[in-house]
Amino acid sequence: MKDELAKTLVQSLKSAGINFVTYLPETRLSQIVPLIRDDPDIELIAVSSEQEAVTIAAGATLGGKQAAVYMENTGIYVSSYSLLTAGKQLGVPVLLIVGYLGGVPDQRNSFLYATIGKHTVPVLDGMGIDHTVLENGVNLEGKIQDAVRAANALRAPYALLFAGEFSV
Amino acid sequence: MIRHECLELLAGKISNQLVVTSQSGQRIEWAHLSKHEGNLLVGMMGCAIGVATGLALALPHRKVIALDSDGSVLLSLFNLPTLGNLRPKNLVVYVFDNGVYSGSRISYPTATAGNTNLEAVARGAGIENAHTIVDIADFKKKGLDALSRNELAFFVCKVDESLMHREIPRPNTDLAENKYTFVRYLERTEEKTIPFIGRG
Repeated sequence: MKDELAKTLVQSLKSAGINFVTYLPETRLSQIVPLIRDDPDIELIAVSSEQEAVTIAAGATLGGKQAAVYMENTGIYVSSYSLLTAGKQLGVPVLLIVGYLGGVPDQRNSFLYATIGKHTVPVLDGMGIDHTVLENGVNLEGKIQDAVRAANALRAPYALLFAGEFSV
Repeated sequence: MIRHECLELLAGKISNQLVVTSQSGQRIEWAHLSKHEGNLLVGMMGCAIGVATGLALALPHRKVIALDSDGSVLLSLFNLPTLGNLRPKNLVVYVFDNGVYSGSRISYPTATAGNTNLEAVARGAGIENAHTIVDIADFKKKGLDALSRNELAFFVCKVDESLMHREIPRPNTDLAENKYTFVRYLERTEEKTIPFIGRG
């Protein structure tokens, strides 16, 4: 991802009200980590597993933050239990910022990632978690605001799957 | 020591703390002992410490308590290094360790009935203030004193298996009702709106 697109992404998260991010780094969107770390308006929390990234973000949401989780799409599988319990069952909105490795629009797709990518959307659908695939920075701010609004209204996690220009 | 007597003592100390409970017999006992609006039940095992950590980070001036079990902590050991590095000063974790999966109704032993020592695991993960409590006098002293200290505390409370929770009527408050009571209590006591609630 070009540095300018990473800056736009972080600025768009802020514009959507995101002020708390838990994360486990991955390869496609990792430029956002130092940008968020250096931003005084967003609290950045490193975790050991995507499963707790979701529960910690859910707790922060209940405590008044507008929380997001940044993870690789493998983290969707790892955190599926937390997404269903702390997310869906308890009804707590969390924005999922997901590097969509192995998805069709992933520009670095290969045999290493394709199987992981193929199952991401069906797994999200199986859990009833709404999602949007983002392939470029066109109206990024509006799309992230839409996702946060939808998550809050649904009282549920909402996943943004980043590929295309974000995966270059 | 049995869990209910610990919880009874703890319930007497609750004023404005936030208490997060996980799925186990202790959530039934706690719901029976405490009608505090700051109680939040996370409906499944392995999620309470994470949710409590998020609350503690979001509200650093507010004491947050996590009530958990050995089975739950074993299911979510990744919480320990995260806590050991974050060390939120306003979080107290009580793990009621009876050494069995009591809810399974076959009381199959957990790893702590064997060679696993959760205090040692927590210390190794960076939680310096981790202690094992084996009797009620120690719970009163160390366990309850932690509520007035400004330091992350992690207590492994070794309790006998008790089936008392099976005699107590289960709470009829559902998870959503509990969540909204909790959130409205927070809005009132923190004098702020919780953003995700919004307006219809």
